[in-house]
Amino acid sequence: MNAEAMTNVRAAGLKEKISIRNLSFYYDQSKALKDISLPLYEKTVTAFIGPSGCGKSTLLRILNRIYELYPKQRAEGEVLMDGQNILTSKEPADSLRSKIGMVFQKPTPFPMSIYENIAFGVRLYEKLSKSEMDERVESALRRAALWEEVKDKLHTSGQGLSGGQQQRLCIARSVAVKPEVILLDEPCSALDPISTAKIEELIDELKTDYTIAIVTHNMQQAARCTSFAAFMYLGELIEFDTTEKLFTSPSHPKTQEYITGRFG
Amino acid sequence: MSLSQTLTATGETRPRVSARPIGDRVMHALTFGSAILVLLVLGGVFVSLIHGSLPAIRAFGLGFITSQSWNPVTEIFGAAAPIYGTLLTSAIALFIAVPVGLGISVFLTELSPAWLARPIAIAIELLAGIPSIIYGIWGLFVLAPFLQQTFQPWIIDKASYVPGLAQLFAGPPYGIGVFTAAIILSIMILPFISSVTRDVFETVPPMLKEAAYGLGSTKWEVVKNVVIPHTRAGVIGAIMLALGRALGETMAVTFVIGNAHKIATSLLAPGTTISATIANEFTEATGDLYTSSLIALGLILFVVTFIVLAAARLMLHRMEQRGK
Repeated sequence: MNAEAMTNVRAAGLKEKISIRNLSFYYDQSKALKDISLPLYEKTVTAFIGPSGCGKSTLLRILNRIYELYPKQRAEGEVLMDGQNILTSKEPADSLRSKIGMVFQKPTPFPMSIYENIAFGVRLYEKLSKSEMDERVESALRRAALWEEVKDKLHTSGQGLSGGQQQRLCIARSVAVKPEVILLDEPCSALDPISTAKIEELIDELKTDYTIAIVTHNMQQAARCTSFAAFMYLGELIEFDTTEKLFTSPSHPKTQEYITGRFG
Repeated sequence: MSLSQTLTATGETRPRVSARPIGDRVMHALTFGSAILVLLVLGGVFVSLIHGSLPAIRAFGLGFITSQSWNPVTEIFGAAAPIYGTLLTSAIALFIAVPVGLGISVFLTELSPAWLARPIAIAIELLAGIPSIIYGIWGLFVLAPFLQQTFQPWIIDKASYVPGLAQLFAGPPYGIGVFTAAIILSIMILPFISSVTRDVFETVPPMLKEAAYGLGSTKWEVVKNVVIPHTRAGVIGAIMLALGRALGETMAVTFVIGNAHKIATSLLAPGTTISATIANEFTEATGDLYTSSLIALGLILFVVTFIVLAAARLMLHRMEQRGK
């Protein structure tokens, strides 16, 4: 980030929620991320852009340690959340993941009712009474702008909803467990323009409470709903800056080429 | 050229494709014939079973199903004991094999390191390939004496203090009997349950599991709430396949069940099953009524299997309805 932007960030009083430092990642022998360092500021939206295979999704998968499910994948370096290195901390991965929600490229409703889809995650970490749970489910669905559409069929299968509704259900599910960070991995890639617009509105709404990281291939989307943006290429972080700066006057020629559509 | 003329002109190319319908018709006839063949064979088996069992049905009526007597000398036959034995051995076998089989497949798909998963998977396939006669002689010469000396005296002693269990595990430890047959059956159906459920567990999209892990689930919670519900149709299918095998299994059961035509309260007592009775007695069935009674037993097994499959279908259908 250039000095001027840095000053702006300081002036805005932004706090680093997550600090990624010298992070490298390996799939077996092949190095997928090379020495990445960047901050995710609290209660802001950060976009990760770059051509396919550049390591954006890989980076998100490190932040909630989901990569640990697979053997032969390992991360080196530091990921500090509120000053604690989550890669080496003693905290079990499942309790870390309850603080870092993730929404995937395709909707992933669980094979249960709409109500249960949301209550499931909440029950893992909290004991709520029936009425408290009802309230939690309703507020999560309202936050995800889905309540009006599903309030009369809460006990039907979540897999019977349309793609856009399913994706909002997945966002509601992440919000319901009250995470601190939400990771969105191309959340709109399988959706129609109307659903996409709804989800973008939702992201805008959610950033008042959550730190959000979003991977997207849609430049307009990145420009519309994020404050910071990181451009990655072949596993390296080429440029990180405010979204405005990165899209209007990128400092690296590769970034310029990518956002103007000359490659990728 | 007018539009209609243009259409006629392009229509001239049509004869070129006229060869295709003949091939289509031949294929249609062949595949249709193969499909119809299934119905014919099934119908044929059913009709000949009914035809063969008519003398027994005429002689005993519905009492055939409820009567326990099986007396070749006085020629009075009843199927209650074999029916009871068939259902009981299969139920116990499922009771043992379903949890173990699901356990194996959960371990293989979710927990096992790769170097261990392959040998176990191969071992399961091999277990499925062992002929039932081998299970039979192993059961008779190894398992039954072993149970007779170790497990059976122990459980008879312990159960005698518990009301209810005392009757279930009563009597002298014969070694052979309903319980031993059920254990052999459970070993035989285990590979069906575990290899089919392992395959369906592997169809769960990784992203769906990651989503559940992403909410902070542990492995157990992911398996219980996502993997098994997602694959329930396949899991039930595997259990039904296993049940079908257990109901009809003949050779291994005949070796170890004791072949006694009576219904005992104790699981350790000798009993019999439909298929074991048929296999044992066909050669010595001299009278027409004796033969017919055995065929009627076969008809009952056919119907029981059909009912089990139909019930499984119904259950799946209900679950899918509720899923919507």
